[in-house]
Amino acid sequence: MKRSALTAALLAPLVIFALLPLAVLVVRGLRSPDAWGLLVDPATFAALRGTTITSAGAAAIAFGLGLPLGLLLGRTDLPWSRAWRALFALPAAVPPFIFAMGWQLLANPRTGLLNTALHLHVDIYSSTGIAFVLGLSALPLVLLPTLASLEQVDAAWEEAARLAGAGPWRTLRDVALPLALPAAGSGAALAFLSSASAFGVPYLLGVTASPPIPTLTTRIWAQVLLGAHGLDQAGALALWLLGLSTLVLALAQRLGKRGRVSLASGKGARRTRLPLGPSRVAVSATTGLVAFVLVVLPLLVVVVASLQKNFGTFDAFTTAHWARLSHDTRTLGAFGQSALLALGTGVIVTGAGLALAWARSRLGQPFGAVAWLAAWPYAIPGTVLALGLILAFSLDTRVVLFDSVALVLALMNTSWLLLVAFSVRHLALGLRAARDGLERVDRSLAEAARLSGANRLRAFLDGTLPQLRGPLVAGFTLAVLASLTELTMATLLLPPGTDLLGTLLFELMSYADPAGAAVLACAVVAVVLLGQAAIAAAAPRKVAS
Amino acid sequence: MAAVTLEAVHKSYGKNHIVRGVSLTVADGSFLSLLGPSGCGKTTTLRMIAGLERLDSGRIAIGGGEVDGPAAHVPPERRGLGMVFQSYAVWPHRTVAENVAYPLERQGLNRSERDARIREALAQVRLEAFADRQPHALSGGQLQRVALARALVGRPKVLLLDEPLSNLDAALKEELRAEIAALRARLGTTMIAVTHDQAEALALADQVAVMRAGVLEQVATPQALYAEPNSPFVAGFVGGANVLDGEVRGGAFVLGGVRLELPTAVGDGPCTLVLRPEDAVLEPTGTLPLAARLFLGATTEYRLQLGDVALRVLGPPHPFAQPGTTVGLTLRAARVFPRELR
Ligand SMILES: Nc1ncnc2c1ncn2[C@@H]1O[C@H](COP(=O)(O)OP(=O)(O)OP(=O)(O)O)[C@@H](O)[C@H]1O
Ligand SMILES: [Mg+2]
Repeated sequence: MKRSALTAALLAPLVIFALLPLAVLVVRGLRSPDAWGLLVDPATFAALRGTTITSAGAAAIAFGLGLPLGLLLGRTDLPWSRAWRALFALPAAVPPFIFAMGWQLLANPRTGLLNTALHLHVDIYSSTGIAFVLGLSALPLVLLPTLASLEQVDAAWEEAARLAGAGPWRTLRDVALPLALPAAGSGAALAFLSSASAFGVPYLLGVTASPPIPTLTTRIWAQVLLGAHGLDQAGALALWLLGLSTLVLALAQRLGKRGRVSLASGKGARRTRLPLGPSRVAVSATTGLVAFVLVVLPLLVVVVASLQKNFGTFDAFTTAHWARLSHDTRTLGAFGQSALLALGTGVIVTGAGLALAWARSRLGQPFGAVAWLAAWPYAIPGTVLALGLILAFSLDTRVVLFDSVALVLALMNTSWLLLVAFSVRHLALGLRAARDGLERVDRSLAEAARLSGANRLRAFLDGTLPQLRGPLVAGFTLAVLASLTELTMATLLLPPGTDLLGTLLFELMSYADPAGAAVLACAVVAVVLLGQAAIAAAAPRKVAS
Repeated sequence: MAAVTLEAVHKSYGKNHIVRGVSLTVADGSFLSLLGPSGCGKTTTLRMIAGLERLDSGRIAIGGGEVDGPAAHVPPERRGLGMVFQSYAVWPHRTVAENVAYPLERQGLNRSERDARIREALAQVRLEAFADRQPHALSGGQLQRVALARALVGRPKVLLLDEPLSNLDAALKEELRAEIAALRARLGTTMIAVTHDQAEALALADQVAVMRAGVLEQVATPQALYAEPNSPFVAGFVGGANVLDGEVRGGAFVLGGVRLELPTAVGDGPCTLVLRPEDAVLEPTGTLPLAARLFLGATTEYRLQLGDVALRVLGPPHPFAQPGTTVGLTLRAARVFPRELR
């Protein structure tokens, strides 16, 4: 009785806000009068093609860069490997459209610095350009799992290969590489997924390209802007996007499972580091150069641009834009609104994640499905989720689907729908943090509290919860940062007359005031860095082994 | 097949001197056990022979050729050795057969030669039926045998074993010990095995090198080591002997107000007495308090109190020797060392 009530209480919001929108999207997409025609429309195919090409390119770039970099940082005696790792992981935290802004400044065919100052001929407004920017943003998705799987490689495996007659490089090829490959492959699939879900980058770089490069996300956005009669077309596009991403997600998970190596071994794994020998200096310098060009330069150029009189030129320094923005009511309003929304999301996500993780650890199996349900909205493209929410909570569908059940949630065109969307989407972050934390906490801590006379809740609060501080702070911060800079869902769900940090930045960047956008971008990067520092500070110290 | 020679080998990590001047010769085709307590530098010594660790000074030769020293460092892949790692180090991304095939691939053998040799090696460790298994689907003992087959398949000059039996349960230990002994008899390969288990060392080896804090204490045949340990440490470690610090006065060992008559004449003075548990006999009358009596199956262990030190004695189940009573003790054999050797 009590158990089923608890189950229902945890399940209901998930069903209504996570499952229902997708069900509505799928049902409506397949049952609309001209469903088939819309699905195979040439414009739909053009967008599908654009998404596939740019995402595959991005995945290839992330893989081609991430795997060698992983081997270099994880397996050789390259100095400062921790610092390089942190630097190359940065693109995961900074919104991709800020990098896109940097690359616009660097590689605009006419005014880009690379073209004017270095006389290169690069054009960022192209499929290659989109794939490049998306691929760099997705680099950590390949690099970090590769490094994690290399950490599992026992030095004795490599030493055994040496004794068997393999030289150091041969050993790298025959032992470390095959063990890292599934993780890197799985990461590349996730890179494809995140690129296919991206909206800001293909919009900034694809729409103004000649000829324009259509993608699923940007086409959906354009259709939603048209209002009610664009929704059918948007739904058809979203079905393709959903299908494509589900397929790739399944692939990523398969590869990810294969990559998990676990073997009983006597002593703790040691790590060997391949000596780079005399080439160490050259390799270090190259790594530094690559990190600078790919990660630092595009951000640096945005900072510099925010300090220029005229955006896109690099001659007269001024702090005028910073001064202007810091008094601008619209900017301040957007900051306030975004902060409120992000903090609200953080609180909901952390609380719900904790409740779900706790229920899962206590109630067992049935909650496996719930956890899956909670993780799904984070995996599918934000565009799809947002469109589902629009369809589920707009007047016409509600009447069609629920004429007997008067489910009146007047959420459409309110900020509440944004809160719902962000919370549903980022629930996975809260759940993962709480679950990882709970798994690590020794059960006996709470049991000791029980034996000392605490009831179940008290024991949780006194014995378990204090141990969860680090993971919960990390989950909360991640959810807040992600919500603060969210763009894809915000552009679709933003009520008229409201601004969020992401949407305002985007609006200023795409036409009105690029210099102001650069200022905002700098502020966002600063906030992101602070947040990452907070996560690092809250992380429990690793016990030296 | 080859002899292995170590000359004044030194190794330190930072300020810690781990191996301090080890000199050792392992004759061609013989089996040497490197025995010592945890952390004494056995693994480090073995890894230096393998070429996985560089020496600070000294030299190592295998089969007459110098592989490490002031003039040379031959990398591990060119030393022609086989090694069984303590953690087995069976590659998780290769099947059993592929693991065993690897040294042959590196030697450049063609496929048909390889297949024959793999079959032979797997047969030697009785794993023919497991050729296509993934390592994660094997038990600890089977993984161990894969590691052994992989180490042997390339016909190494010397086989190195790091605690080959330590992760196995008692029954498997017996089985693999017999298997290693049989393999050695058949192949005649020079073998060097690291262990901290004296029974393992005594059972397998032609020669046992006892190591302590980076120094070799004694190198001898198992029989010699057992019969004539050259220090209390070796006696305590190898025979499980009682090692007692006391004094000899008038032909008796004195400790904590108790006199034990020695079987052989020794001059007076402070000394260390080494007494094997089976070399003492309990008597019904005496003044030594009996603290405990443990039934071990074939024998019974008695714990006597000598002042404030405990003494272990093995013997038949005497009805008179009950905990709480006092008993007497006769020494049938004992060794006395001057005190400073300890
Ligand atoms: N890479 C290293 N860096 C620093 N110290 C080390 C290193 N490897 C080993 N040591 C130290 O050297 C000493 C000897 O280590 P070694 O592994 O040779 O011991 P062992 O005799 O094999 O012990 P065990 O029976 O526990 O395996 C230990 O005190 C160990 O802490
Ligand atoms: Mg060891």
